[in-house]
Amino acid sequence: MTMKTWLAAGALALATASPFVTVAHAEDVKITVWSLDRDIQPAPNLIKDFNALKNGITVEYRQIQFDDVVSEAMRAYSTGQAPDIIAIDNPEHALFSSRGAFLDLSDKIAASSVVKTTNYFPGPLASVMWDGKYFGIPKATNTIALYYNKDMFKAKGLDPDKPPQTWAELLDAARKLNDPSKNVYGLAFSAKASEEGTFQFLPWAQMGGASYQAINAPGAVKALDTWKTIMDEKLASPDTLTRGQWDSAGTFNSGNAAMVISGPWELDRMSAEAKFDWAVTLLPVPEAGAERSSAMGDFNWAIFSTTQHPDEAFKVLEYFASQDDRMFKDFGQLPARSDIAIPPTGNEKKDAALKVFVEQLKYAKPRGPHPEWPKISKAIQDAIQAALTGQMSAQDALDQAAAKIKSVLG
Amino acid sequence: MKRIFSSLADGKGFDVALIVFPFAFLFVMAGLPLVYNVVMSFQEVDMFSLGTFARPFVGFKNYVTLFSQPETWPIFKNTAIFVVASIAGQFIIGFSLALFFWTNFPGASWLRGLFLVSWVMPGLVVGAIWNWILSGDFGVLNYLLHTLGIIDSNIFWRSDPSYALWAVIIANIWLGTSFNMILLSVGLSAIPNDLFEAAELDGANAFQRFATITVPMMRSTIGAVISLGLIFTLQQFDLFAAITSGGPNNASNVTQYWAWDLSFRQYDFAQGATISVVMIVFVMIASIVYVRSTRHEVRG
Repeated sequence: MTMKTWLAAGALALATASPFVTVAHAEDVKITVWSLDRDIQPAPNLIKDFNALKNGITVEYRQIQFDDVVSEAMRAYSTGQAPDIIAIDNPEHALFSSRGAFLDLSDKIAASSVVKTTNYFPGPLASVMWDGKYFGIPKATNTIALYYNKDMFKAKGLDPDKPPQTWAELLDAARKLNDPSKNVYGLAFSAKASEEGTFQFLPWAQMGGASYQAINAPGAVKALDTWKTIMDEKLASPDTLTRGQWDSAGTFNSGNAAMVISGPWELDRMSAEAKFDWAVTLLPVPEAGAERSSAMGDFNWAIFSTTQHPDEAFKVLEYFASQDDRMFKDFGQLPARSDIAIPPTGNEKKDAALKVFVEQLKYAKPRGPHPEWPKISKAIQDAIQAALTGQMSAQDALDQAAAKIKSVLG
Repeated sequence: MKRIFSSLADGKGFDVALIVFPFAFLFVMAGLPLVYNVVMSFQEVDMFSLGTFARPFVGFKNYVTLFSQPETWPIFKNTAIFVVASIAGQFIIGFSLALFFWTNFPGASWLRGLFLVSWVMPGLVVGAIWNWILSGDFGVLNYLLHTLGIIDSNIFWRSDPSYALWAVIIANIWLGTSFNMILLSVGLSAIPNDLFEAAELDGANAFQRFATITVPMMRSTIGAVISLGLIFTLQQFDLFAAITSGGPNNASNVTQYWAWDLSFRQYDFAQGATISVVMIVFVMIASIVYVRSTRHEVRG
């Protein structure tokens, strides 16, 4: 066949097909979705499957970079070009809900047979709420717990099946595991002056009975003092102050830290890199029997209030929620649902760890929700850093943070 | 019509066009954002009013808030230390290298070109590499100092409040030295050789020749290098983002990083703009010095 005949055939095919195409388009409602998911992550794949259903709704996808999510969304909303649906990081959800930028989904969720609030973990669910209403649906979730090196536990005479359960036990274990001559720190975590620092510290404060509204409560002071003890006794690297969770966990994988506080996003890398026996346990609590808590990460789905097709947009979200059972199997992310069991991966250590993370998720609490969260978080970060560098006492630093937060809360 | 065209092609119109285009370009690309920034520093801005100009004016409130924060003066002080130490380091090392390559040993120009590699590298890459060098537990620099017997225990360059700012300064000096060196080399090669020959015949020693011929002849170049250095240092952002993120506890925070943090992390655009305005004043001063020192050059 020559080029010409190919072209002719193509034109013919187009001509015959086009009437159907236009008919389909005339009926289809177009919904745009923005998220940060790459091609191997949930959003683009779920959208592909959704479009294949041909149910009169066509979804268009646009990928945005993590750092640009909020600024892009703001710009788009304030210039009237917002998408119908967006995936937003959970501490930033309230910023948009409180300003009426997101659609109140309470009635739709109440009427929905797919999205049931009782199916979700309380933490992720709370993060989509503002003023008692639901402004979104959790997309996925994660939390933090304590990873520990079982081989090192054995070598230092600790029982590898009895990981530390309280702060005192954690300190005790860290002291025993700490071995400067072998370049091993007892513990690794992140106290970085960024959202990561808040993410790691807030659970400690909450376990001590504090909250972001009362960050200078005695429990939080005790938590920060415990962190300070860890830093002062060099049970963790001084670089903890400037290192993120991913890099801190890297030192655990390379055998330079005996324990690390981090999340399930480490599992794949750890399974590949760590050449020792490891396990995960729940975050230690202030004293036996104390309230548990943990951090809560990951994104939520929301519908912009400017959408022309709220019902269709919600249908798309319902579809996403209906596929939550694929979340882990296909994409390695934890669904924010307590009614979905994580299927076994066949990797024994990983499966055991996932069980702990799912258990920990029950205690996960959102950051906020509050529209001024970044400022609240900044005040907490400043307090952590001021105390850990020894420039202020834990009490003074948290008092200052409480004062700053109070002025933000108004 | 023909007259307009001919005037445009060759005449007054052409001159005017030559002026108008760059001016329009400058106004649109630099002037408007600058004005917008200044206006924003007098308004109450949040992200939902970003798209519109009609925002409530609050007078000097943003400035008052800025200067009443406890971290403001330490950050300004950090900025001053960062600028002075970076420029001093870049200039002294750059000038020494320029003088060294000026002796024109075999391969000098080739080596000089190689030095530019550091200038070509993106700041974030430089930052990532220095991150490894400066890392506390396994950093190359600590290993080196240790082996040389200078330190007994590791210095946590990025996490110790007394070293964090200097960690960034070291990286910035490395980054900017080659640029200084190249500009100063150009200046050096512009000095006529007979001046030195005459001075040598008159019995001036090497130091006297340097102090009475090299330095005075280089005055405009030095002025330009230092003011450009000031501008480049004040806009140095990547290294802070990559090495210390301004921490710990703002010990290495500087105005340019702070402005970004306020605007794009805490979404306090008005405060971010206010800091930028304060910085503009400083950059203005540097620009005036730069323009004055290069004007001399054109005349000469």
